[in-house]
Amino acid sequence: MLFSIACNKNLDQTPMGSISSADLNTPEGVEQMINAAYSFCGQNHFNKQMGLPYEEGSVRAGEAYKGGSGTNDNAERNLWETFVFMQPTTTGDLDNLWWVHYVAVGRIHDALRRAKDLDESVYPLKNERIAELRFLRAHIYFYMKVCFKFFPYIDEDTPEEEYDKVSNDALSDQELWNKLIDDLRYAVSILPITQEEVGRPTKFAAEAYLAKVLLFAAYEQDATNNVTSVNRDKLTEVADLCKDIIDNSGKSLYNDFAKNFLSAYENGQESIWAIQYSANDDNSPTGRLNAWLIYPVNSEYGCCGFLQPSENLMNSYKTVNGVPDFEHYNSGDVLNNKAAFASHTIDPRLMHTICVPEMPWKYDPNFIMQKSWARTPEVYGYSMSQKMIVLPTDPSFRKTNPFMGSGLNWDVLRLDEIILMRAEALIQLGDQAKLDEALLLINQIRTRAAGSTGMLKFSDGTPTGNFSVQPYQPGVNCPVWNQEFAFKALRWERLLEFATEGKRFFDLVRWGIASEEMNTYFDTERTRKSYLKDAKFTKNRDEYFPVPQQQINYVKGLYKQNPGW
Amino acid sequence: MLFFLPLATLSNPLPGIGNMKPRVNQQTDIFASGKVLGENGEPLSGVTVSEKGSANHSTLTDENGSFSFKISSKSSIIVISYVGYKTIEMSASKLDGAAISMARDKLNLDEVVVTGYVSQKKADLTGAVSVVNVNQIASNTSGSAMRALQGKVAGMSVSANGSPDPTATIRIRGEGTLNNNNPLYIIDGTPTTRSMGELALMDIESIQVLKDASSASIYGSRAANGVIIITTKKGKKGTVINASASYTSVSSKKPLNLMNTEQRGIAQYWAIKNDNPNADPTAVGIGGIYSYTDHQDANGNFVLDKVTWREYLDPVEKTMKSADTDWQKEILRRGQVQQYNVSLSNGNENSHVFFDLDYYNNQGTIKGSFFNRYSARINSDYTFLNKRVKIGENLSISKWRRSTNIGDGNLGSTKSLMSIVPVHTVDGIGWGGPIGGMSDRQNPVRLIEDNLQNYQDLLRLFGNVYANVEILKGLTFQSSLGLDLTGSWQRTMDLTYQSGFLSEDRSKVTQTSAYDFSWNNSNVLRYVFDKSRNNFDIMLGQESIGYQGNGFWASRRVYALETPNYMQLDRGETERDNGGNESRNAMSSWFGKINYNYDGRYLASFTLRRDASSVFGENNRWSTFPAFSLGWVLSNEKFLGNLAPTLSHLKLRYGWGQNGNSQIDNYAAFQMYEFLYDYNSVWDWNWGTAYDFTGQGGNLPSGFRRTQRGNPNLKWETTSQHNIGVDFGFLNSTLNGSFDYYLKYTKDILMKPGYVATLGEGAGMWLNGADIRNRGFELSLNYQNNIGTVGTNIGVVLAHNKQRIIKVPDVVINNFAGDGKDDNILGRSRNSLYGYIADGLFQTQEEIDNAPAQVGAAPGRIRYRDINGPDGKPDGKIDNYDRTWIGVQDPKLEYGFNIGLTWKNFDFNLFFNGILGKDLNVQSWKSWTIYSLGTVGENYDVRLLDAWTPTNTGSKIPAISVNNYNEENRFSTYYVESGAYLKIRNAELGYTFSKALLNTIKTSSLRAYLRCDNILTIKKSRGKNAYTGLDPETPGTSYPLPFSITAGIKLTL
Repeated sequence: MLFSIACNKNLDQTPMGSISSADLNTPEGVEQMINAAYSFCGQNHFNKQMGLPYEEGSVRAGEAYKGGSGTNDNAERNLWETFVFMQPTTTGDLDNLWWVHYVAVGRIHDALRRAKDLDESVYPLKNERIAELRFLRAHIYFYMKVCFKFFPYIDEDTPEEEYDKVSNDALSDQELWNKLIDDLRYAVSILPITQEEVGRPTKFAAEAYLAKVLLFAAYEQDATNNVTSVNRDKLTEVADLCKDIIDNSGKSLYNDFAKNFLSAYENGQESIWAIQYSANDDNSPTGRLNAWLIYPVNSEYGCCGFLQPSENLMNSYKTVNGVPDFEHYNSGDVLNNKAAFASHTIDPRLMHTICVPEMPWKYDPNFIMQKSWARTPEVYGYSMSQKMIVLPTDPSFRKTNPFMGSGLNWDVLRLDEIILMRAEALIQLGDQAKLDEALLLINQIRTRAAGSTGMLKFSDGTPTGNFSVQPYQPGVNCPVWNQEFAFKALRWERLLEFATEGKRFFDLVRWGIASEEMNTYFDTERTRKSYLKDAKFTKNRDEYFPVPQQQINYVKGLYKQNPGW
Repeated sequence: MLFFLPLATLSNPLPGIGNMKPRVNQQTDIFASGKVLGENGEPLSGVTVSEKGSANHSTLTDENGSFSFKISSKSSIIVISYVGYKTIEMSASKLDGAAISMARDKLNLDEVVVTGYVSQKKADLTGAVSVVNVNQIASNTSGSAMRALQGKVAGMSVSANGSPDPTATIRIRGEGTLNNNNPLYIIDGTPTTRSMGELALMDIESIQVLKDASSASIYGSRAANGVIIITTKKGKKGTVINASASYTSVSSKKPLNLMNTEQRGIAQYWAIKNDNPNADPTAVGIGGIYSYTDHQDANGNFVLDKVTWREYLDPVEKTMKSADTDWQKEILRRGQVQQYNVSLSNGNENSHVFFDLDYYNNQGTIKGSFFNRYSARINSDYTFLNKRVKIGENLSISKWRRSTNIGDGNLGSTKSLMSIVPVHTVDGIGWGGPIGGMSDRQNPVRLIEDNLQNYQDLLRLFGNVYANVEILKGLTFQSSLGLDLTGSWQRTMDLTYQSGFLSEDRSKVTQTSAYDFSWNNSNVLRYVFDKSRNNFDIMLGQESIGYQGNGFWASRRVYALETPNYMQLDRGETERDNGGNESRNAMSSWFGKINYNYDGRYLASFTLRRDASSVFGENNRWSTFPAFSLGWVLSNEKFLGNLAPTLSHLKLRYGWGQNGNSQIDNYAAFQMYEFLYDYNSVWDWNWGTAYDFTGQGGNLPSGFRRTQRGNPNLKWETTSQHNIGVDFGFLNSTLNGSFDYYLKYTKDILMKPGYVATLGEGAGMWLNGADIRNRGFELSLNYQNNIGTVGTNIGVVLAHNKQRIIKVPDVVINNFAGDGKDDNILGRSRNSLYGYIADGLFQTQEEIDNAPAQVGAAPGRIRYRDINGPDGKPDGKIDNYDRTWIGVQDPKLEYGFNIGLTWKNFDFNLFFNGILGKDLNVQSWKSWTIYSLGTVGENYDVRLLDAWTPTNTGSKIPAISVNNYNEENRFSTYYVESGAYLKIRNAELGYTFSKALLNTIKTSSLRAYLRCDNILTIKKSRGKNAYTGLDPETPGTSYPLPFSITAGIKLTL
């Protein structure tokens, strides 16, 4: 029958505009799969970003309020911030957070398997690219680790049909860290000292990440997240790695802290590895953007008023004799207005981190923040963040109504953090010579901060605050430099240097002080912001997110829920 | 590729046919003639007279009731049939010019029903088929036959809102699958799954709904959701011109109760004060707009004395004067609908033509929204070769245009933008918009005005050409080639604007076009014969279907002028972007059917269909769908003959059958990778594959991502259905009706479920995963009688359906409502609601102290019930263990009730319909009564002002608060309300002018009518789950369905 012949042939319809997996197993195809893997590692979206984790790391650490249009706007982040309402099942955004990492890891593994299957003779870049991919994998899994503690560890050799049979308790806490450490050691051994393409990690970037992972792994936790011991071998290695970077990478601190947050200085002397964003110059309609929700609501930007620095954070920048006002920073005046900035001595990094009405916006003395820029002052007050903001006139600013973003990079690893990581390792190792060197390192950061006032001017040229930062001078402006005080100074320095950059919550958990710090924060802050009325950090539970119930269900209970949840 | 067999046959018809049956060609012409009269001896015109078993030999009576037509033999049986009358069969030899009287048939048992490739008399049906009374919907103003059928067909649920775009959601016997639940439409033999927006109501001759498997299974694949068969009007003998016109005016009633500027200010004051009595609402209120004068009474309670607001929203620039804008009033208008139709029917012995022009224009009640449609139809047929070959075509061309970016979304905006924002700035030109502190939502008037130039055009060509060849007496071959082409085009011009802090300074044009083409070819061989009292109707057929869809879009930004004339894509200055795609599928089928009838008493029907679809894996493309049905006409049995006319008709029916479903992605079975430079999405994650390695921008290196895993074993989803029914007529069929009970079980449901995250991107895979059962019954009752000079016609339809999910894959069991653990959807409807039980509001601290621990509990806050805990019993604290099943969004009963009266030249019709026992999830808009849940800088339902306070303890609305302390956005019974309603859907009064008058204006019939729609809505307005909105049929910001009034006229020449 003519019909049935014609029709059976007609029934063979193959997809249009699609490529088969096998067609991608060429050197060019593998390079393209690697491009896709990098691309997703910088995926940035308000729904759940892979980018700078300001909600997990900063909002949850009391550095900033969620912001936006009230507690119900992006409501699940309100649960993250107040802790007390959170339940494993009310976790749409948390599920996204979990998800997004496995999408990235999935792309990495797809590329990795193909790269491994090619022979070096046809693909000379093979080992270097494998090292890059393993570096990326460590980067992605690092955030899984600090957010969830345990997670199903999958690598490129795990057969795909086994992916849903890998449990999150197959590896112990330290075994998981070791997996990341292995990847980074491999990357250190292969990657070149410099990269022509700045977006790719160098050997020093791998050393820096290795140091960071070792530092976290060094604080060993028990089953209920208490820090029980500090591993000296790991800390020694952290100190050594950081020293190598400081001495040999050719990187140096900018003279002005501001340059780390300006698009004109991207990929510059202080940045060790950054996620590359692009806004207006990449031949795409919406660009690959960073930070969508944190711009103020004015006509120059338009939306959305999230990430509002807390009063506690702003007060932390008060100084006495040029050093932090450790004891009384959070009493008396709140450092959230022009008058207070003039009357108190303050660390200028405050102005690089936050803005409030009447103050110049993002270093522009003629662009003054108005009260009306704040979205929901009755709940969150008027403060706005500055570090990830660019000016509306900046070439990297991008309006993608209704959200806004920019091509400003996210510095995952910066030299100032390497310096402070070495200082932290030295302090924890504890002998006086090491403590003394740590003092020098911390003071190096403080000296740079003290000099970072050049852009902090009103239009008449007067400084925007009564800036006063001094290096620690034991016995002069601070007590004796023993391990206890040095560690306290280090913790403060990290807060002042990295506030709103998504690091502090993980720091607090690493140090084992999250519960004390957060509940102290809530005790004061709830008197200022009534939405924190019932906020409470539950020790031995809230150090980590719950595993999203949805994921547990998918594998029929194979995953073990985190303690306390 | 496509091979159109019948045309090939026709190119050389004579030898082929001659060889088969030479005797006929040599015959001399034989004629049958006569005259047909009605019950009172009046001549009946338009009666179909045909030779039995020889479909092409037929004619219609003229205005004197006379007919004369060629037949093949003097011994032939002549069939005389007319809608509403009992069919007469008699030998041609007896006829010979005689006058024949026809008797009325209240059951329309002789009505011919199209049941799939062929047609059948209603009397012989054994499946569940609803035949629609097309006259009842002729003057409907909704522009769509499907919308017009709401409440008219038992077991067919129609949901629609008031949008001018005439789409409706149709569900036949519930939702049987987790993918596409839309029925299959067959228009003049050509299948389509597009909704009926393009089909002019006046073109429709008949509509039949095949509900059970045994009747639908002849359409095997794709028939699982039911089949709606539409036959368009055909030309008849003689010349008839029909014309009709109507005009409808639709009221602009506001669907929401929103606060005005002062009320909004009061709400804010209490929101701030309730949380913190020391706070100064003037200082920390939104944008500092409102100022308050208050004092404390003797007990220290605050008393608000006065609310004022500043003159300008922007006190520095002074461009936006504070207003009291009623945004709903600004965007609503009186709607209008106009319908015009003119048709011409012409025919003679050998050819018939029907020509029709139709215009429909609906200006919706939301400003700027419209839908207009022009359609033309030509249906014609031509009989030749001694009436043994009939060829013809049904062809319609329609073009519609509809507004885009304008619709019920703007109704949502009326809530999102506070009333204090003016429509325009003080210059009367610029747009008002939000200031700091308000939500980043658009001025709805701007959205409408800036989109007036944007619309979508669609052109559709639909129809078929067919040939019907009589090979032997009773043996016919019919072949049809159907085509469905749609092309759409849209140019969206986004203008620059400044509206408060929202702005866009780069204009943009996006042009989109799509072209869809599907064709089908069916070839059917049919043999009808009798052997004593055994009547056989045997059919064998084959069908091929192909589909191809193409889409293309392009956009550019920045235009020097913002006029529709100038804003051509070409003129865009930057950011050129474009995209396009294509998709295809194909189906192939074989089928056969035997209808058997013994003496009009025992009926049986057997169907077998074998289908293949390209969307499945190579291993499972073909599937077989069998069905059978049996009928027993008890009233034709002698032993019940005595009961007539008390029991004038009684038929028992039973049927069983299987249907398939393949309505999934065209390439569902394949693994796919795609190149995606940039995802170009604001609302979704950026799934792009490019990366800026150099930090210098430019054209970035990009790559591939997986988008789907393949499944070569993907196979058909199958629905099996039992149907048991009874048709009855009492008192000479004055009261008649039917009742059906069905059990419908769908297994191997096609789904692309979610999956565990570790599988990574693009791990989605189509599979055959779930089972669903639907059970229900349908009752139709009809009463017709003349009481004196008043003719009455009362119709009732009732339907009940209950859905149960029987099986879903473990991995997706929690994609449905449930606790995410063990308490899951199995055994429940997929539309079940799961949440907390809201037990009213806490009144005192003492109550809270004695209640289970609830974080956020405070007087005036919702109290949740402790019903469970980790150990399976209440544990004294409110957490996610305390959720349970709190409603089902399926109606328990859907009903329609129609009363028709005629008196002298007047006719009157009143139609009610409604649903019972439906729970509605109203969270999307009831949260507007909780201050902290609406984003703060927006407007609220006026009911919020009645929120709980220490002195207003009777309120059911939680106390006003800025902060969502109590997690009241958690889904609870607070958000479950009754969706039941009873509506007087429409009433129509018509007057038919007298013959005497008409003769003077050379018109044969003229009817004028007045009609009202959506006259009254009765909802559950008290009790625990009372509906707190205005219309449960269009809840929240759905496009309202308001009262309208229509005047119309229908004329026949």
